Amino acid sequence: MATVVRRAGEYPEPVVTWWSGRRLRFVVVLVLLGAFYSASWHLAKVDPGRLLTGLPKMAGWAAKAWPPATDELPVLLLRTAETIAMAAIGTTAAALLALPLCVVAARNVTPSLALYYPARWFLNALRGVDSFVFALLFVAAVGLGPFAGVLGIALHTWGSTAKLWAEAIENIPPGPLEAAAATGASRLKVVAFALLPDVAPSMVSVGLFWWEFNVRASTVLGVVGAGGIGQELKNSMDLLLFPRLLTIILLILVTVTVIDHTSEWLRRKLE
Amino acid sequence: MAATEARIAPASRSIEPVARVAGLTKRYPPAVTALDDVSFTVQPGEFVAVLGPSGAGKTTLFRCLTGLTRPDRGTVAVVGRDIWQSPRELRSARRQLALIFQQFNLIRRLSALENVLVGRLAHVPTWRVILRCFTRSDRQLALGCLDTVGLVERAGTRADELSGGQQQRVAIARALAQNAKIILADEPVASLDPESSATVLASLRSAVSTGVTVVASLHQVHLARAYADRIVALRDGRIVADAAASRLDARTIEQIYERNGERSES
Repeated sequence: MATVVRRAGEYPEPVVTWWSGRRLRFVVVLVLLGAFYSASWHLAKVDPGRLLTGLPKMAGWAAKAWPPATDELPVLLLRTAETIAMAAIGTTAAALLALPLCVVAARNVTPSLALYYPARWFLNALRGVDSFVFALLFVAAVGLGPFAGVLGIALHTWGSTAKLWAEAIENIPPGPLEAAAATGASRLKVVAFALLPDVAPSMVSVGLFWWEFNVRASTVLGVVGAGGIGQELKNSMDLLLFPRLLTIILLILVTVTVIDHTSEWLRRKLE
Repeated sequence: MAATEARIAPASRSIEPVARVAGLTKRYPPAVTALDDVSFTVQPGEFVAVLGPSGAGKTTLFRCLTGLTRPDRGTVAVVGRDIWQSPRELRSARRQLALIFQQFNLIRRLSALENVLVGRLAHVPTWRVILRCFTRSDRQLALGCLDTVGLVERAGTRADELSGGQQQRVAIARALAQNAKIILADEPVASLDPESSATVLASLRSAVSTGVTVVASLHQVHLARAYADRIVALRDGRIVADAAASRLDARTIEQIYERNGERSES
């Protein structure tokens, strides 16, 4: 076999035409991205100049905010507790509602595909509407206060939790379920006895994540009048009570941090 | 010898077979024919060994028998009733059948005892299953089955903390707990050491002595000859031999394997 020996610089290089399909596609993508961002810039009315003039105003507020107001601390703590309670009740209600639906929405255990698809659409619709938007509707329907917030959280979390749970169910190995089904046990028995122990830890983990998420989300639900610390936040902002505002922001930060760490610790315990 | 022969002559028997498979065909497109027109019957109280190399269609046959896989053609009848007649019929047939899997298929996070209780699910009201509250007699039955396979002292151990051989014995206890007429075992000793294999096959053999019918696929010919009454050999999805274990000499069966091995290599 003859071996061709070439020195560097003598190898023929593959021919690249300047207007090859790949290059053309790259340029088109670049132009489209450029158009998208320039349109977004105008639609979002980005104006760095206004930020520059606004910043000293904010610095002035910050200066006026110190020291944080402590005279209303008991009320604010109560409002914080209200926020945590809203998240807890809303998330728990969502979990109870999600339990039957996640089985229907999991492809490997659904009773029938005729139910599977509608269940998926329904959950996606719930997930698509933010709890903030739901709360806005419920404030109009059931009046101001944390209950509207609970309902808003429950509906949005119902969709999100059920979808994540359904995905957890779809990921478990099919063997043990087949073994249980092969004994002649009904689907409900198989789900309750063979499926649940396998997915329970990841289900609890998802539930804790949404509780944590909802504590953060419900700090702003008060802005639409759905109770909790957010309502105090908006009042203070409207009345320009900066020391009080600072107290509220600090309270939110502490609460969210504690809840985040507790939830993370509990979830790690489950693994 | 004569007695064994009489036992395997289905035509001469008036007793209804516990399982009858007729014209079973299953294809996995595009190119695999797992089962090709397989027919045989199983008589009550028999220990039938299904022999055949990997890919011969043994697993598909067991999945069809329990209704986990639906055949393209052919029928499966358990105690004289077509399992595909209705979902209800399928569930009642499955109650008569207990399936043992090659990969055990235990629920990892449950104890050995709870895994054996899976065999009782079809016999227990739904509320008891949901609350995990079994009767004392069911629990005692399950412990008895664990004792049969020599694992009663590990009843509280989580399934994923048991060795492979122990897991397979728990799976056998689960099958025994079903009080089924037939135990189907798909390669029950394929992943076990010789000693565990002997224990497992001995417990299946003792189930036969209590009137249970056993159909087990096996890899080792000598085990089939030692424990089974009858041997059905599968190759490329077809039955190539069906006779009393004592009448098939080891040589014939080895040849089935060897010839097949050569074929798949060429």
